[in-house]
Amino acid sequence: MTATALQQEAQRAKRRQQIGGWLFVAPVLLLNLIVVVIPSAIGLGMAFTDWSGVGSMNFIGLANFQRLFQDGVFFKALTHNLLWTAFFLIVPVALGLLGAYLLSGIKRGQMFFRVAYFIPYVIAAVVNTQLWRYLLNPRVGIGPALSQCCGIEFLNVPVFGSRDLALLGVAFVDMWHFWGFLLVLYLAAMSGVDIELYEVARLDGAGRWAQFRHVTLPSIRPTLVFTILMITIWSGLVFDYVFIITGGGPANASEVMGTLLYTTAFQRFEAGYAAAIGIFMALWVAIATGGFVLLRKLGWEV
Amino acid sequence: MLYLILKQAVHTSIFKEAAVKTRILSVMLIFSIVLMAVPAVGAQGDETVITWWTEVGTVPTNLQEVFIDPWNAAHPGYRLEIIEKEDLEAVLRTTIAAGEAPDILQTAGASYIAEFVKAGLVQPLDDYAEQWDWADKLLPWAYETGFIGGTLYSVPLTYESMILMYNRTLFEEHGWTPPTNLEEFTALAEAAEAAGIHPMVYGNANWQPSNEQVVGVYLNNVAGPQNVYAALIGEKPWTDPEFVEALELLQTHIADNGWFSGSLENYFATGWDDYWAELPTGEAAMMMTGTWAFYMTFSFDEAGTEWDWAPLPIFNDRAGEYNYELATGSTLSINAVSPNADVAADVINYLLSDPARVLELSSTKQFGEYMVPLHYTEEDFPADTDERLIRFFSDFAEVTGEGRFGYTTWTFWPAGPNVQLWQEIELVWFGEMSIEDYLARHQAEWDAARAAGLELAVPAPAGVE
Repeated sequence: MTATALQQEAQRAKRRQQIGGWLFVAPVLLLNLIVVVIPSAIGLGMAFTDWSGVGSMNFIGLANFQRLFQDGVFFKALTHNLLWTAFFLIVPVALGLLGAYLLSGIKRGQMFFRVAYFIPYVIAAVVNTQLWRYLLNPRVGIGPALSQCCGIEFLNVPVFGSRDLALLGVAFVDMWHFWGFLLVLYLAAMSGVDIELYEVARLDGAGRWAQFRHVTLPSIRPTLVFTILMITIWSGLVFDYVFIITGGGPANASEVMGTLLYTTAFQRFEAGYAAAIGIFMALWVAIATGGFVLLRKLGWEV
Repeated sequence: MLYLILKQAVHTSIFKEAAVKTRILSVMLIFSIVLMAVPAVGAQGDETVITWWTEVGTVPTNLQEVFIDPWNAAHPGYRLEIIEKEDLEAVLRTTIAAGEAPDILQTAGASYIAEFVKAGLVQPLDDYAEQWDWADKLLPWAYETGFIGGTLYSVPLTYESMILMYNRTLFEEHGWTPPTNLEEFTALAEAAEAAGIHPMVYGNANWQPSNEQVVGVYLNNVAGPQNVYAALIGEKPWTDPEFVEALELLQTHIADNGWFSGSLENYFATGWDDYWAELPTGEAAMMMTGTWAFYMTFSFDEAGTEWDWAPLPIFNDRAGEYNYELATGSTLSINAVSPNADVAADVINYLLSDPARVLELSSTKQFGEYMVPLHYTEEDFPADTDERLIRFFSDFAEVTGEGRFGYTTWTFWPAGPNVQLWQEIELVWFGEMSIEDYLARHQAEWDAARAAGLELAVPAPAGVE
């Protein structure tokens, strides 16, 4: 066999392998096309129509977006999503890091705490929300109980009925179920940190805070950045806890883009306008993901 | 097709061993056959299935033996399937758009079916109504609510109204009587407050649209049914002083006085569990609620107290004598693309044709669900029916028959104005929006709904030509 023939045979084998590869991913690509790409394209198209959700639709150009930019409730919802993001990037991340760091120093019983903190994450949202509804009930919850027994009044408020507290209250409940997940992720990342780095830091006189800041944090940076990205994305798409507990109320005090979209599409029968809100939610995700990609391009180890 | 793709993949890829290849191909072949066989399963048998999806949790416990089995026995070759669906409204909207909805469409009220009608997804029922005299079988006002643009598209599955439910034991202890006007209501509310009791319990923690029930009561009982009717048919703007006055009184009661569950904040944090704890135990004295609440009156037995109901107090003389708000809880229609429309209509007719059967079904829900608006007599009710329930249905029939009725938002308001009504009222209650602005926006929603042809049929009350 000549060198050319061998070369051609190698090329054919490579091509066969490539075709095989594509055929293997074809079902997944097809599935992705059907359940992601096509619905997304339809959703994008719907945002330019007056579709009610059933029946015919009419092209109305940018009217839905013009209305969106004049819609005070939408901007309120968007602001709440931003506040939600800030809350989740600070409180559960800090709790998760602190908890993981403290737990990483425990040799006995660590598994117990891991499981205990993780349990709320695997419980259905509807169960968690019902639990906290009872706990924060203005009639039979913790607040009136503490007020009656010990005269402690600061919790004796209808959290989910208050304009000032509703969003914070729902975020707290969601955070309560979520932070254990972060803790487990951070703990797993911390267990991979080279123990010698801590020993060297200790020899250099570093205390626990200095070790955490200069050894732990840089070592778990990929996990940390990943969770920050996911929190940012999820905060833009948040729906379930808000919908179940307050439905966005009272008086839009806990309205987020997700609940506004739902009400618009399924109660007001304005699927076209709801799709325009959906475009903004997709834009949120795109910006968050774009930031992540940019960091990678800039050479960050994320 | 799937098998061929996978076969090609196996041939061109890493599975070079003949034995491995054969085994994998065999598994794939079986898998492909199973996949192909799945759609065929539903098509087996000679029976034609008539499908009807209903809201989960509302179904009478005896539906199978009292309704489905007898209908199936009377219709050889057909099988009726009534399936409970969680969040039926959303499921129906998705499937009807895809042409996959059931033969019988159940919606939450006339304003919902209007959207489907506008999209041409619902079968006209006029011929069936004529064939089986549905106009005579149903209460006149209820029959009328099924018309859109002069064509009948739905019949009500259940009817209801708003009442004043109260703790009779508590009332007797304090020597109170149910209030009939604003003066009595105010005096009673103040007396209850003085005794450390919430005058009323209600809230929207479980169901945000509960707001509309409260707003509807004040619109009807302050502005009066005649004015509401005039606004509903577009002859009176919602911005008129009577409606402003109605919402001002509501504002005083719910926000300023905190007569609903103690405070406005409590109203938003109060849910069904709280109603049925506070009212039977005497923590609250009264509740403005729908007749669906009859189903929960067993809570009083558990608390060892007695309940009763009264018509809602009239808050302004212009509203006339006491009346009952008209409401249909759910509607039944026929899918425009149903291949079994005639048989589906027969199912509906079967439901409308026997008042005793309907009462037998509805009795399992204390007449709060599946209470089809037929002409009932006291004798039609099962012998062990609570006197208080019979008293309501008898009085309702008599009073509404005289044209003394008001209007519920979920039956007579199109979707746009309806959602605006219960959503933005919260802004009013919290002082973020003036009543005038709120009503102006309400009027604008009505104008848009009228322009889109979404007006619903509205029966005229007594005193209106």
